[in-house]
Amino acid sequence: MNLLTLIVVLPLTGFLLNGLLGPRLGKSFVTVVGCGLPVLAFLATIRAFGQLDGAAGLALVESAYTWAVVGDFSFDIAFYFDRLSALMTLIVTGVGSLIHIYSTGYMKDDPSYARYFAYLNLFLFFMLLLVLGRSLLVCFVGWEGVGLASYLLIGFWFEDPAKAAAGKKAFITNRVGDAGFLLGMFLIYYALGTLDFDAVNAAFQGPVPPAVSASLVGVLLFIGATGKSAQIPLHVWLPDAMAGPTPVSALIHAATMVTAGVYLVARLNGLYLVAPEASQLIAGIGVATAFFAATIAVVQTDIKKVLAYSTISQLGFMFLALGVGAYGVAVFHVYTHAFFKACLFLGAGSVIHALGGEQDIRKMGGLARRIPVTFVTFAVATAAIAGLPPLAGFFSKDEILWYAFASERGGSPLLWAVASVTALLTAFYMFRLLILTFLTPSRMDHETEHHVHESPWSMTSVLVVLAVLSAIGGFFHVYLFLEPVMPLPETAHALEHLEWPLIILAVVIGLAGLAAAVYVYRGGLDRAERLERRFPGLHRLLSGKYYIDELYEALIGRPIRWISDRVFLRIGDRLLLDGTLNGMASVARGAAGQLARVQTGNLHFYAFLVLAGLVALLLWSWGHV
Amino acid sequence: MDRTQLLLTLSIALFAIGLLGVMIRRNALVMLMCMELMLNGVILSLVTFAERSAMLSGAVLVFLVFVVAAAEIAIAIPIVLLLARRRRTLDVGAWSELRG
Amino acid sequence: MSLETLLLYFFSAAALLSGVLMLVARHPMRVAIALIGAMISLAGIYAILGVHVIAVFQVLIYVGAVMVFMVYVIMLLDVRDPSFLERYGRAVLPSVLLAGLLAVALAAAVGRGRSVTAGDLGTTQGESAGTLFNVQPFSAEFLGSYWLHFELTSVLLLAAVVAAIAVVKGGRRHDG
Repeated sequence: MNLLTLIVVLPLTGFLLNGLLGPRLGKSFVTVVGCGLPVLAFLATIRAFGQLDGAAGLALVESAYTWAVVGDFSFDIAFYFDRLSALMTLIVTGVGSLIHIYSTGYMKDDPSYARYFAYLNLFLFFMLLLVLGRSLLVCFVGWEGVGLASYLLIGFWFEDPAKAAAGKKAFITNRVGDAGFLLGMFLIYYALGTLDFDAVNAAFQGPVPPAVSASLVGVLLFIGATGKSAQIPLHVWLPDAMAGPTPVSALIHAATMVTAGVYLVARLNGLYLVAPEASQLIAGIGVATAFFAATIAVVQTDIKKVLAYSTISQLGFMFLALGVGAYGVAVFHVYTHAFFKACLFLGAGSVIHALGGEQDIRKMGGLARRIPVTFVTFAVATAAIAGLPPLAGFFSKDEILWYAFASERGGSPLLWAVASVTALLTAFYMFRLLILTFLTPSRMDHETEHHVHESPWSMTSVLVVLAVLSAIGGFFHVYLFLEPVMPLPETAHALEHLEWPLIILAVVIGLAGLAAAVYVYRGGLDRAERLERRFPGLHRLLSGKYYIDELYEALIGRPIRWISDRVFLRIGDRLLLDGTLNGMASVARGAAGQLARVQTGNLHFYAFLVLAGLVALLLWSWGHV
Repeated sequence: MDRTQLLLTLSIALFAIGLLGVMIRRNALVMLMCMELMLNGVILSLVTFAERSAMLSGAVLVFLVFVVAAAEIAIAIPIVLLLARRRRTLDVGAWSELRG
Repeated sequence: MSLETLLLYFFSAAALLSGVLMLVARHPMRVAIALIGAMISLAGIYAILGVHVIAVFQVLIYVGAVMVFMVYVIMLLDVRDPSFLERYGRAVLPSVLLAGLLAVALAAAVGRGRSVTAGDLGTTQGESAGTLFNVQPFSAEFLGSYWLHFELTSVLLLAAVVAAIAVVKGGRRHDG
């Protein structure tokens, strides 16, 4: 049975039904279709997963449709289901379904309910194309498609120009990365004549290396990944993307879409294993991004922005793992991150919902008793992200730190050190967020305080499920599950005795972050404000996000606008094009004006002209007869 | 120069004079009369050839031309008069409305 | 030089002179008289050629009907019309040159033709020419072979009369 095609097509059907018929058929229809179809897709994925286990380790391959035939080569839309895609698909459909269910509560009063679910289903469709695609081409279709869905959903409340601009920024930044992806794809096709992942991996791992530099291809594809997964230098869109509805932030910008870059590199591990320069670059950028984003998160005051920078930072961790060859570990972190980050975002959504729209943590506080379910789930997820055992984040982050230190494929103490500092900062800012939002005395204004209420069960049930998964999910060691597909790197023998000490050090770091956060923020904002006054320059730098947006504006935005105005508008459009057209019209008018001078209205003149013509004709005919 | 050539030359001269009159004079009735002169010039050439070829049908044709000329003048003059009444002058310059 | 030739030259000169007078005269009445003079000269030429019928009809129809009508109309009109003072239009010299060019070009064509008989202009085609264009043969031919054309001319004249009435009546309605 075409199980994989079914998995992909179910959300597409949801998009079409909700998009075309939704507004007319009412909320119940939209809810049933919009949530039901992803759940069905999840069940189908489980079924396929069962089939995979029985297939003795071989992947399931389904060819759905031949898109084009060019010469000897045919571009197929085919799906490929091995352990990696199985895991990714389970995350996408599972967490996706949960977030759909959460959305029924969160978006209940929104007038564009049907459009929202249509877009969300569209996103699921494209994401499934991305993770199930057999060739880079299908993956790229899904890649672009999730970018589109992200744009549509970030700018969901498009009547606000700022939100629409955020959507545009996301899409355009993604496109810049996609240029790299496309170039990488072209090189692969040129060298190998195929775009199928299994064929590409086999070619690069095979005895005869292909005629293209693996590092070059690796770097180009990684550029695409930086765009999609918000790494330096293309990370600027993710904080702005918080303009979209919170469930969208949870699904797209935490659990699934931003992990597409990680998936891409992990899927092409055969390529990256023979591209050490590219891998070093990935590790370097990953750890730099992680540190950079964590420093910014320390001073953020919007609850969603803190989580956004946290996501960038955690993605940096994943790329660090990829860069040192521990592909399975990176995917493990994708898996755990999906649970606790989604839980955090949805919890933030619950807080925002409870406070009637307030997002500034300086105006929160004391919510622990008033919205207890949200508080407990948020706390569990915070502990998970801080790496406190035995929650899920502890296992995955710890493996990353270990391989960053000891991997034979690029691990170094420097990488480990920066990553550990980042882990400390992570614990600090996450507990800061928890304390300021829930545990300090209330700083809310009275109006808001009166209306604080717990969210409906459609939202809180999902929070509970995700919190439980954040707690126990780490016990399923994904990286061991993925070993057949992505072997773990060798670790330096000399350093192996340090494994357990490093684990203990990581736990200590997490607790230290917790302690520091408690110390600074326990009574509220006073101590923090005093610290801010002592280091004003540093605070300004971090609050301004290192002024990267301003830098881009000055280096890229303003020159482009200048060229558009001066060169293309004034010279090209007005002077050349309009000038030519107007010039031709003027010439015509001038000529007509001159010709009109024949029409004098003077009868004698007309008679004269007739006679003149006649005489001329006569003379000419006599010359030629 | 033989007779035919003389008469043809006269015919051409009368035609040219009449044409000149049409092109020069401003009075509408005078222009009409110059046109009559042109017609007479042409009739002269017709008569010349008819006589040379000794064909009676030529004479008949001349007669028919006379009739047509009469009919033509019968209509042309009322039209000119109406035009003159409209502009209150016989000067054809009064009808020149285009700016050119 | 026979009498015929002399008369021929005389009438030709008269016709030309009348034509030039037409161009020069100021009052339309004088122009009309000059035209009548030209027409009578032409009638004389026709008579010399032996086409008596046409000569008579020239005087009867052309002078007697057409020019009389013209003279009536001229006499009906106001003397103080500005066109009586300003004879000529704007560009006189180019028109003269052009008309002269036309006349010269056409005359050159005529001059290139062969002369049938040199010298004496008075010779006719034979004495048949003398009686060929008399009234009887003319009428016999006219109402014999060309009776249809005759009927059509009466229709034409009727149409002209109706048209003249229509023009004047219609003009009056507009002016009302």
